[in-house]
Formats: sequence, structure tokens, C-alpha cells
Amino acid sequence: MKIKGIFKDGQIFWHILMFILILISVCPILFAFTGSVKTLEDLYNGGFFPREIIFDNFKRIAAAVPIVRITLNTFIIAACVTAFKVITSTLAAYAFVYFDFRGKQIIYFILISTIFIPFTVTMIPNYLTISKLGLVDKIFGVMLPQLADASGIFLIRQAMRAVPKPLTEIAHLDGISELRILKDIIIPVTRPAIISTGIIFFINSWNEYVWPTLILRSNENFTLSLAMQVFTDSEGGVEYTMTMAMAVITMILPIALYLIFQRYIMSTFASSGIKG
Amino acid sequence: MAGKDIIFENVKKSYEDKTTVIENLNLTIKEGERLVLLGPSGCGKSTTLRMIAGLEDVTEGKLIMDGKVVNDIPSGKRGVSMVFQNYALYPHMTVEKNITYALSVHKVDKNDIKERLEQVLEILGLKEYAGRKPKELSGGQRQRVALARALVKRSDYLLLDEPLSNLDAKLRLKARKELVKIHELYGQTFIYVTHDQVEAMTVANRIALMKDGVLQMLDTPYRVYHRPANVFTATFIGSPSMNIIEAEWGGGERLMVGDQCLKLPQMWKEIVEKHGRTKLYLGIRPENLKLCPGHNSEGLNAEVEYVEDYGNRYGIYIKLGELELISMADSVFAGRGEKVHFVPDYDHIHLFDRENTNSLGYPAELEEGKEESNSFMQAILNESPKQED
Repeated sequence: MKIKGIFKDGQIFWHILMFILILISVCPILFAFTGSVKTLEDLYNGGFFPREIIFDNFKRIAAAVPIVRITLNTFIIAACVTAFKVITSTLAAYAFVYFDFRGKQIIYFILISTIFIPFTVTMIPNYLTISKLGLVDKIFGVMLPQLADASGIFLIRQAMRAVPKPLTEIAHLDGISELRILKDIIIPVTRPAIISTGIIFFINSWNEYVWPTLILRSNENFTLSLAMQVFTDSEGGVEYTMTMAMAVITMILPIALYLIFQRYIMSTFASSGIKG
Repeated sequence: MAGKDIIFENVKKSYEDKTTVIENLNLTIKEGERLVLLGPSGCGKSTTLRMIAGLEDVTEGKLIMDGKVVNDIPSGKRGVSMVFQNYALYPHMTVEKNITYALSVHKVDKNDIKERLEQVLEILGLKEYAGRKPKELSGGQRQRVALARALVKRSDYLLLDEPLSNLDAKLRLKARKELVKIHELYGQTFIYVTHDQVEAMTVANRIALMKDGVLQMLDTPYRVYHRPANVFTATFIGSPSMNIIEAEWGGGERLMVGDQCLKLPQMWKEIVEKHGRTKLYLGIRPENLKLCPGHNSEGLNAEVEYVEDYGNRYGIYIKLGELELISMADSVFAGRGEKVHFVPDYDHIHLFDRENTNSLGYPAELEEGKEESNSFMQAILNESPKQED
């Protein structure tokens, strides 16, 4: 936007408000970044910026927990969950948009209503299932109940509904199979929505805490959010600088992903009318 | 019947909510002809086209293509190609990919694809745009890409759903001439949907005029204009619309219009008497309604209401009793409120039954040697304003 536009027609008020909101959101992140490279003393007595940048906190984390393995676990879980959710959501959304079948509306309604079931309601039955399957303390046990997601179906369906019908009709006229239509026409056209839905799934899975806490027991199977807990609860009180360093390790990948795919994420939320 | 005719046999189309769009359609589209489905919005013309394409089911009756009932044959196996109103180009593919996509999916020989692509790009003047994406093209270019994609399939039937309606007037004129030329080149069966009567007249070999899901008339543009089968056809085709005047057959030679009387010639008298109805409509096209100054007992007396100047012609609105009529004339001799009269040119009148609005038919004398659809077509094409390419 041009600078001039900011001061026009009372826009200045909204820009100040937005700036304050951004500050509120960004401050804790900056605090974590600066805190992770401070000594504990510097954190308590110093200002916002570190007097001296140190990387001891990261080294101590690496010594205390198998951090590479933990990061890998988190990545594997998030990547698999994202891939499955995106595939199942895309296939289901295509069926809901382009196929006519009996009970379509009701099935869709039931699926979407599962979004509103609180996690605490499904947590125990899911745990019992995973436990019976012998998947406790295995990363596959964390993934299994999350391989499909109604909110993904909703978001991708919204994007597919915006694709003009003649685009698929002309493909049908040309005798193109449904899978080819999905692969060659619908997915490329709705790619921004699919990518951003995937990013959301990835970040959610990356940050997940309660469910992995229930399933995972041993350090080498932990995810990053569980590893953070190790430092917050360790004997001798909370070492905030260590926690900050752990938070930074946890945040880096989602932030990088967001920055790379920002355009797609924004366009999906703008077109589905949902605020992020 | 030729093998590749499209035949609708008592076809009905209704939707789940019981809305009936097409009522008992019987229509034969001849192999290789240019048939235009014409009618106002919601008349069922697009639905008819979509049934041929297989994009809509046939609720009842039979749809026969290529000698087979195709009611249950999926659209991909009917040998049709289509141009949509909004062109439906794949936005992420280049012009070249848009045109060849279906061929490459069906594993047509690469050299063959290349040859067909080059031919169609050449014919439609798209060579320099082959590498562009649809968003980088103008409306006219997109329309041509959509046409190229349909032509490259070399299917037996080419369906066009209002293909020119998104173009501006000048481009539309050029494009419809191109369409006719392309048809002559490829010789496919053209089925063309439009609500624009001039487009229909200039493109069609035959016009199927529809209203509320019912076929009103199926004939050549000449006959649709000069021999309309009913009042709807008479008033829908032609601009300004045909004047429709309530009349009553008074016996003898007298046709009563309000309290005024016309003397019908023998040829029309025979038609009316054969038909045996007394309550009629008299139809006169504005260009056939020639006004004369003053009142006269020979014709119908009226008063000038107002005059519209079209630049090359005048539209003179007259009041005949309570009825407003329009006459098209090259010059104006009477102003507002002045008395005028007209004697219909009996070679160019139309009589309709007031009860079912159908035409009473035409005297044999008028039918002889009047099948001049080609010269009529030429006249219409000549009337169109000149365009700059």
C-alpha cells in the first residue's frame, strides 16, 4: 500500500490498532529469541537485548536430550499426518463437490460436525484403541488417529467449489477419467488452498502436546513440545533460558514454512471467509 | 435418416424438484447442418444442448446419436466437442497445452497431435499465442482457443453454448463469420445455442426456436422470419417485433379490426374459411406497414403517436384504437397527432388463430418460388454494419 493511503479516510486508526496487535503477537517470539542466547543472570537483570550472545543453552539441550532424534520424530509425525490429511481431504472434497450420490448432504454434515467434538471427548477412546494395538510409546501411535480431518475437507471443498463447473465438464466431454481430472485440473487450480491447508496441518501437528504426552513415554521417542516439558519441570526449578532455547528450536521450522508459503495461506483464508 | 443425425424422440427433462425444463421434445438435427437453438432465457435451449453433450440426463424419451440410443452413454464416449460460454480454458495450461491436453491423455500419436495443433493454430490465427496462458489473452483470443480445442478433436458434433456472448459487438460480427467458414471447412454437425436472433439468422441452416421447454418452430431462417408458425415466433424474430392486431372474421371478405373493416383478397379468404375460426390475430411486420396521409375507408385509420429517428430509418408509432403499432419508414410525412391510414400489403400479412396462437398457414400463391433462404441470408449479412478487422 502507498504511504499516502495509510492516512486517508480514518485508515490511520486501523493501522495503529493493527500495529499494536502485531506487537502483542510478535513480542513473546522476540523475547524467546533473545532469551535463548542470554545467560540466566542476563535474563533476570538485563534488558530486552542480550549483553552478550551465548549459545550455551543450545549446547546443554543437545547434551541433555537426543535433540536431533526428537526433531526428526516431530518432523516425521508432522509430515506423515500432513500428507495423509491432505490426500484424504482432497479426495473427499472432490467427491463432495463433483459427485452426486445419495445422502451427500447428510454425510457432509455429519463429517463437518465432527470438527466441533472436543478433543477431550475422543482422547480416552483413542488412547484405549492405540493401547490395544500395542502402539503406545511409538510415533505411529501418535499418527494413527490423525490421518483424516474434517476441517481439511471443509477448506479444500470450499476451494474446489470456486472452480467453474465447465472446467470439469469439458474434461468429461473429452473422456478424461476422474483421477486425471483431479490430478491434472483440479489440484493445480486449487493448489494454493491445498498447500495452505497442508501448512496448517503441519504446524498443528508440530505443536501438538496433549496427545503425544499420552502416547509417548521414552525420551528418544519424544516430540519437540514434549522435550520442552523436560526443561520446564526439571528439578531445581525452571531454567528459562533453556526453555527459551527449546522454544526457538521448536519454532524455527513452522516460522520458516509460514514465511515461504505465506501467500498461499493468506489466499485460502481470504477466499474461504475464515479468519486465521 | 442419415447415420449421424441427432434425434430427440419424445424427450422430457425434469429435475429432482419436479421442475420440467423440456416437454416432449421431438427434433431431428441433420448430419452436417448448422442448427441454432434459439429462445429467451430459461427456454431450455442450453439444457437441450447439454443433453446432447451428456452433461444432463434425459428424464424420459430417447436421444439417438450416430444411430444409437445414447441416454446412458457417458459424455466422453459420444464424439462431441463443446465450446462453453465462458470458454472453460484450463487456467494453468498454455494455449498449446489447452488444445492438445485431451489428445495427449488419450495417447494420440505425437506427430498427429503436432499436425492437428499446427493446422488449428493456423486456421484460427493463434500461432503467436501458443505459449501464453489464458489470462494473458483477450476475450476474442480465448474464444478462439476454446474453438481450437473443440476442433482439434475432430469429433462428429460441435456444440456451441452462446460462444460469442462475452465478446463485444464488433468482434462478435467477425467471429460469427469465422464460425460459418470453419463449419464449411470441417463439415461437422454444428449445434449452436444463442438468444441473439441476428446471430441465429446469420449462422443457422435451420433454427429451432424454443419457449418454456417447448419447440415452437424448426425451419430455415427465411421461413422462421417470413412464415412464422405461431405468434411467439412471429414476435420473437424481427426487431422491432411484428405488430399483432386482434381481428375478427366477419364473413364475406370482411376482416374486422375494432370497428374498422378490411377487405381480404380471395387467397386469404380461402385460408380463413378453410380454418373455420373467427377470432384471429392479424400480423404485420413494421417494414411492411406502409403509412399514407389522412384517413381513408379503404384501410385502417390511425394517429401518429411519436416518431423515433434511427439515423437511416424512422420508427413511427401509431395508435390504432387502444393498440400501439410501429411502422418502419425511410421518411416521415406526419407529425404527432396527425391522421394516417394503412392498407396492408396482403403478400406480407400473417393470420393467427387467437385461441391457440398458431398460424392459419399461407396461400399457395405466396409459397411458390419463395424458398429463397440463401438470398435472404445474403441480405441479412449485407445489412450487418461493416466491421474493421
